[in-house]
Amino acid sequence: MQALDWVIVVLYLAWVIRDGLRRARGTDRLEGYFLADRNLPWWAVGLSVMATQLSAVTLIGTTGQGATDGMRFVQFYFGLPLAMVILGVTLVPFLHGARVFTAYEFLERRFDAKTRSLTSFLFLVSRAMSCGTIISAPAVVFSAVFGWPLTWSVALIGIPTVLYTVLGGVQAVTWADVKQMGVIVGALVALVIVLLLRLPVSPDDALRIAGTTGRLQVFDFSFDLDNTYTFWSGVIGGTFLMLSYFGTDQSQVQRYLTAKSVDEARSSLLMSAYWKIPLQALILLTGVLIFVFYLFRPGPLLYNPADEQRVREAQGAAYAEAGARYAQAYEVRREAALALASAPPATADAARAAFLAGDSAMTAERRLALGMAEEVTDQPARDVNYIVPYFVLHELPVGLVGVFIAAVMAAAMSSIAAELNSLSTATVIDFYRRWVRPEGSDAHYLGVSKAATAFWGLFACVVATYAAKLGSLIEVVNRFGSFFYGSILGVFLLAMIPRARALGAFVGLIAGMAAVAAVNFGAPSVSFLWHNVVGAVTVVVVGMLLSMGSGQRSAVSGQRDGP
Amino acid sequence: MTFRRTLVRVMAVQVVALALLWLLQAHYGR
Repeated sequence: MQALDWVIVVLYLAWVIRDGLRRARGTDRLEGYFLADRNLPWWAVGLSVMATQLSAVTLIGTTGQGATDGMRFVQFYFGLPLAMVILGVTLVPFLHGARVFTAYEFLERRFDAKTRSLTSFLFLVSRAMSCGTIISAPAVVFSAVFGWPLTWSVALIGIPTVLYTVLGGVQAVTWADVKQMGVIVGALVALVIVLLLRLPVSPDDALRIAGTTGRLQVFDFSFDLDNTYTFWSGVIGGTFLMLSYFGTDQSQVQRYLTAKSVDEARSSLLMSAYWKIPLQALILLTGVLIFVFYLFRPGPLLYNPADEQRVREAQGAAYAEAGARYAQAYEVRREAALALASAPPATADAARAAFLAGDSAMTAERRLALGMAEEVTDQPARDVNYIVPYFVLHELPVGLVGVFIAAVMAAAMSSIAAELNSLSTATVIDFYRRWVRPEGSDAHYLGVSKAATAFWGLFACVVATYAAKLGSLIEVVNRFGSFFYGSILGVFLLAMIPRARALGAFVGLIAGMAAVAAVNFGAPSVSFLWHNVVGAVTVVVVGMLLSMGSGQRSAVSGQRDGP
Repeated sequence: MTFRRTLVRVMAVQVVALALLWLLQAHYGR
């Protein structure tokens, strides 16, 4: 990184913080702080929805996945457009029309306080931990690449985000998201342009070579419940996952509750319906092009510099030998790739076979090195997350490196800010105002909300700093989170069925989580994308069975919040 | 009516996106 790149990163941070402080001036009431007085334009809300979902992991991890595994991950999003349309006619009018602050508040109006509190509590537990991992993922990469202590990287990403979220509330979060989406898309497009300019073969040849390795196999129509990336798991499981995420997760629901009207809230979600798959395809294709780039330029055996250093220190001789074989295989593969690019149809099969043999030899050496890294560090090697940072730092021109680092920070900050804002909202509205102090003044709640945002920000930074040590705990919480995602969706589906009753909703929720736990720990093994289907269906079936014959249903709307 | 129109529009865009991905796979895939 040159001085100019650091200047760009600092300017980006100053820009975001300054804007957050500016937005703080108009945020002096609770509804303004959490919902921007329900007055934001659809396009700003739509960009905020997309920015919240696109984290730093997407920008560096998914691009790396494109380089190593190809395009098939895009199938994961095949259910998103349909989910957005369904939400536009079901939950969005219910939630926006109910004038609630949180999605869970709506559940008390429809069912009872315990269903609201349980769903909100589950949201708080899972989102607080996941917020820590959203900070830690890019922070770990920054630390490995720049050689900083982890605390510095966490502070660099976490402190500015907490600052503008605490001061500016949802206004600052949303308008920062708009800018951050611009920075992210701009950096991605710049990356693709640089790649296309620097490839020694034409884009057509580049795609042909990448296709030979199977990286352009997008569709897998096999019906394998254990495989996450198939057409069917994407369309069916993905629809349920996206319904759960965009329809019941406060970090997303709060985005579109700030829209001016139900129609504007719908339009904001439709932006994702139109653009998510093309954007995700672009991210993966960027990774595929990086793979092709390193066919013609020697790359490292291990992309993670911290792991590489430790392996060199612990197993220097074996690593050097593997490196020598890797370099030899690289020359063979490069020649074969050039031959394949210019091969006439008559000799294409032979050229393809020679190229694949060279590629297999390199992959074998990489596997060996990754095995060494896992042995030395006693942790799974996540080398895939370091491919894009390596490319950016070694190949991008001065200035663009800074833009890309700012884009990674923007991706992380936009997701963290939305989560902190929603964690604070659920804490204050669903617990503090509901159970602790129902009759406080607006100014009092505003002060508590800012304190709650700061608390969750600090909590997320601490979790991020100790993420490596808390690794297994975070995994447990994330796994626990997947137990109730679909189940919460089931409760919201029940809320739209007039015959459903409070008892059915509460018991159904617990039954749904138990069913997902049974599928998760039992046999046959089922990919996590199907967990949401199992959870939601179980809640609706159990909830309706219990609701049959029980008393009057509660009113859908019109009750005031709180006791 | 509005829902049907929105659904058709979103699904049409998705069909185009999937068709482009399919063409990419058919032309360059293994």
